[in-house]
Amino acid sequence: MTDAPMIHSESTHHLSEDVSTGGALPFWAVFKREVALYFRSPVAYAIAFALFFFLSLVFNGYLAQANQRAPAQPSLIPNLVTFLLFLIGPLLTMRLIAEETREGTLEVLMTLPMGEWHFILGKFLAAWAYYTVLVIISLVYQFVWSQVGVPDQGVALGAYLGAWLYGGAVLAVCMIWTAVTEDQIVAAFLSAATVLVLYLADIAASALAAQPNLGLVAEILRELGLQAHYGSTLAVGVLRLHDILYFIFIIIGALFITTRIVETRRWRA
Amino acid sequence: MIEVQNLTKRYGEVLAINGVSFTAQPGQVTGFLGPNGAGKTTTMRILTGFMPPTDGKATVAGYDVFEQSMDVRKRVGYLPENVPLYRDMTARDYLSYIGEIRGVKNRKARAEEVLERVGLLTRANSRIRTLSKGMRQRVGLAQALMHNPPVLILDEPTIGLDPLQVLELRDLVRDLGHDHTVLFSTHILSEAEQVCDNVIIINQGHIIAEGSPAGLRSELERGGRVLARIDGNLEQALVTVQNVPGIASAVIQMDGIVATPTNHDDPRPLIAQALIEKGFKLLELRPLAINLEEIFLELTRHEREALAVEPDTIEESEAVSS
Repeated sequence: MTDAPMIHSESTHHLSEDVSTGGALPFWAVFKREVALYFRSPVAYAIAFALFFFLSLVFNGYLAQANQRAPAQPSLIPNLVTFLLFLIGPLLTMRLIAEETREGTLEVLMTLPMGEWHFILGKFLAAWAYYTVLVIISLVYQFVWSQVGVPDQGVALGAYLGAWLYGGAVLAVCMIWTAVTEDQIVAAFLSAATVLVLYLADIAASALAAQPNLGLVAEILRELGLQAHYGSTLAVGVLRLHDILYFIFIIIGALFITTRIVETRRWRA
Repeated sequence: MIEVQNLTKRYGEVLAINGVSFTAQPGQVTGFLGPNGAGKTTTMRILTGFMPPTDGKATVAGYDVFEQSMDVRKRVGYLPENVPLYRDMTARDYLSYIGEIRGVKNRKARAEEVLERVGLLTRANSRIRTLSKGMRQRVGLAQALMHNPPVLILDEPTIGLDPLQVLELRDLVRDLGHDHTVLFSTHILSEAEQVCDNVIIINQGHIIAEGSPAGLRSELERGGRVLARIDGNLEQALVTVQNVPGIASAVIQMDGIVATPTNHDDPRPLIAQALIEKGFKLLELRPLAINLEEIFLELTRHEREALAVEPDTIEESEAVSS
């Protein structure tokens, strides 16, 4: 294919000089682009398909035996989703920053008049938005359930809210690793490992708590872990400000660390 | 306007640029010339606010690149080496995206205008992955023009293009130079000579020469080697030339005699006189330093001699100029 000739005659029209700029919301531009990419990405659809295939199988089996089991567990689906986040989170986020670093497009973005936090926040919100869509779709199970039985809607609401916040925290933590390495696979593995550690922290804490003199360590570990703020509280319908603040704190903290990593990358570039 | 004073960048032990100072004037194309690894990209990355300098000061359009980075970035259009682009986007969407981050009002219309300027309107809706290298380069350039910046920084924009595309891009850069401050890097010396109003030659992190291409040439031609071609016995003529006052050495090369003077005076009048007095038919007498290639080799000779690798510079330059 031949290129169209460039215009370079004397009569070349000059670009207009009155280009006004201002009122930019860079994070919003980044957010819109990333959301659009999720809905065009085969990986994102594959994740959604795998998730709902699995949830449907479990739900179906559970429903079939529901009459033999009482009381029914209303947080079944949100619990499964939070467990699966160690897979969903890394897969949704691994591309976000690593790809831009590898392709060099980060260099262009970092010379645009926007702070790093715009870039990080836009990417994070896009991932969280996609995850939110997945959570909303999973409400279908709750609907089906309420047609055939009488689940505790209050507990379900708490559990779904919890799963949503839990997902935000996991995605934010995964952002750190996609900023650290330009290799998506490495980012995904490190993210999955980190999320699993945070998931299992309260089990480790219970084991430690049995030891004498380790009570404080166990308590700190428990507080840091994700499950302590979900499994025994939100998932059973207990809404504590403490737990909601924990998730918000993790999100802000992880995004802050991610921003600093991208900044130092510029220093070392 | 770009003003750079004593700019230094250190990566650990490596000194990428060392005390670089220069000025790029508005309405001019300033060429940043040097071999690969000379420090061109490092300097440009500092000027665009991509990374901070270790030491020194630089202002772009009147703003300090480190202290007022956001103000600088608003006024600079940057085309990085290798032109990183989002391959899944169309050229139009990409420009719109960059425009939105920059807060360009009427960005759809502006994208249209810029695409027309770089001659890419017909492919505006093609995904960037399907565009040729030359077209991608133009998308990158369009990106740098989106917000109508007073300063353009272009890092080796002609690399990897075919000869026709190179010519087109050079024309475009020259044209943009009329109403912008353009800093244009290249490692192709003849390109700098064609495109730039002012040339800065950088090697191993420091500036070794600065001036207009013509000025640099005339400065180095004075005191440079000269080639004399005669009709007759070269051996005898060689002795005559060697005996001319002010000639350090003379050798037979390229069907003629190449003489190196001892100082900066033009040795040609004396050589001509001596040869004609002895009855040789003088066919040609010209300076050998005729292009930037030669100037560059001349300027970096000390460094290369220090490495004890002395390539046959004269034949090289002859091959290029012929």
